[in-house]
Amino acid sequence: MWERPLSKRQLGLLLVLTGSVGVIGVLAIDLLDAGREGGLGPAQLLALAAMILIVLVGLSLLPLGDRPA
Amino acid sequence: MLAENHLFHLFVTRLYRVLMWAALILLFGYLLVFLTYAANLIQFPFDYDQGEGFELVDTLLFSQGRWPWQDVETWPFYSSNYPPLFHLLAVPFAWLFGPSYAYGRALGTLATLIAAGAIAFAVRRDGGPGLLAPVSGLAFIASNTIYHIGPLNRQHMSMVMFETLAVVVLANMEGTGDTQKRRRTYWLGLLLILAAGYTKQLALATALAAIAFLFIRQPRRGLQMAVGLALSGGAIFLLLTLATDGQWWLQTISANVNRYDPQQALGLLQQWFGLHGFLVVPALLFLLYELYVDRLSIYSVWLVAALAVGLFSGKWGAGDSYFSTAIAATCILAGVGCTRLLANLSGKGTLRSALALLLIPLLFLGYARAVLHLPTLTAPFDSIAALLDVKPNALNGFYDSARGREGEFPPGYADIGHLTNGEDIRSGEELVTLVRAADGPVLSEDASFALLAGKEVVTNPTQLLNLANNGLYRGDALLQMLQDQAFGLIILRAGFFPGTVLQAIGENYEPDQVIRMNGFDYRLYRPKAERAP
Repeated sequence: MWERPLSKRQLGLLLVLTGSVGVIGVLAIDLLDAGREGGLGPAQLLALAAMILIVLVGLSLLPLGDRPA
Repeated sequence: MLAENHLFHLFVTRLYRVLMWAALILLFGYLLVFLTYAANLIQFPFDYDQGEGFELVDTLLFSQGRWPWQDVETWPFYSSNYPPLFHLLAVPFAWLFGPSYAYGRALGTLATLIAAGAIAFAVRRDGGPGLLAPVSGLAFIASNTIYHIGPLNRQHMSMVMFETLAVVVLANMEGTGDTQKRRRTYWLGLLLILAAGYTKQLALATALAAIAFLFIRQPRRGLQMAVGLALSGGAIFLLLTLATDGQWWLQTISANVNRYDPQQALGLLQQWFGLHGFLVVPALLFLLYELYVDRLSIYSVWLVAALAVGLFSGKWGAGDSYFSTAIAATCILAGVGCTRLLANLSGKGTLRSALALLLIPLLFLGYARAVLHLPTLTAPFDSIAALLDVKPNALNGFYDSARGREGEFPPGYADIGHLTNGEDIRSGEELVTLVRAADGPVLSEDASFALLAGKEVVTNPTQLLNLANNGLYRGDALLQMLQDQAFGLIILRAGFFPGTVLQAIGENYEPDQVIRMNGFDYRLYRPKAERAP
């Protein structure tokens, strides 16, 4: 497993996972940082958009199966 | 019919060659503009870009065996927020020539040329035929951003050089069948990434790209790279932290967390795309091709990481230089993508393949037009400017397509690129004379005047501001000195001091005169004769 290249599907799964953790992380900033004013700031929105893009790219790779990434 | 097809094919091939030569000549012209600018700056003895002087101070401190990461609460209140490698490379020159911007600017120029050479080499190694490789390398230098940052006494371009070399070395890892050679390639790549990281912190993105690429190709190798970088980089980091009583950590990491303005980042992203779009589009298309059809190369992974760094250009103190790595990645990826396209087209005599063939030089020609920049008052470029009817839109007769007609540019874009002239040198000399004549120490926002006057450089304003913005600066001793009017003269340019320091200057010093150098107003302040009780 550690010697073979990742497949497109595995890369897709990794991206979906990374992006999802990122989305949760960006949203969690508001939950954890109680001192902040409510609502998503422009920098957070930018980060959120980037994370959602990563999830979408990951999802689009899933159907490509076992071809090497 | 066959003969007509043959003739048509011959015509298209010839036209392709002519257009490629035209692109090469135009882009070579930008190399001449770059070298003219570099020669001009190397001869200019004063600060040109904000911060250059303090990079020189770092070099001088290393040359004396001292750390630049110091406690800003005690005299001379100096510290640096940059890693050491660029300054260490300049140390032998400091021993030979003393305080001078010339060698740091020459090193920056050389780093830019090496990075461009590495891009050309990568495209050639990937099969780039004929002029495609030199055109890809020259496209890097032709970028407005690379042009104006390259020849500065700043560490950014050395970082980009190390990053580019690392990526080009690691890209060849699988092409090396010999295990011994592959191991050497791995270690060389790791060393170059470390060198980039210890030149400037932003190289972290390239380290992550290299780890991600190796992980995709062979997870074990990716993990090895991650562990190798963490251990070697971490060990150096720990040693520096211990050796400087924690100042390394405080000054280079804690103080670098700055306010982020997404509007600035988006403005610079838009500008980057507008200038480099002719190469960005084919590079991104090739990235998508590799992602969905072929296998991802390190160049594609690198471009994604470099674009993420570009988005950090909204940070306070950041600017268009944050796109330099993305520009290098774009030039390689566009060159390699065109190489693949040419390989696919070879032997096909269809109309579609003929048009695709001509598209390649047209992209580089379009790019050469988009990045237009040149001095309009200096020979031989003045004749070219007159021929093209180009009117200056920046200082000292410089034209820069990154700016609007009236010279406007998005926040964060460096207001440099123009050549300095005799008047600038006279103004600089006047400032040095005034600093030399002043009683006691001088507080100056640029370091060169004190350095050339033989006085101690007091503080690094932007670093004080970085620390103050993070609640890490009190400044009692400096504020007391300002209150005591201990400085005989204060020179401000942009006012990048913490608010408390500016307030103390306002309370205890009064405007004396303004000297214009290099397009910027240097405002001189003298102690107030009478102060409000």
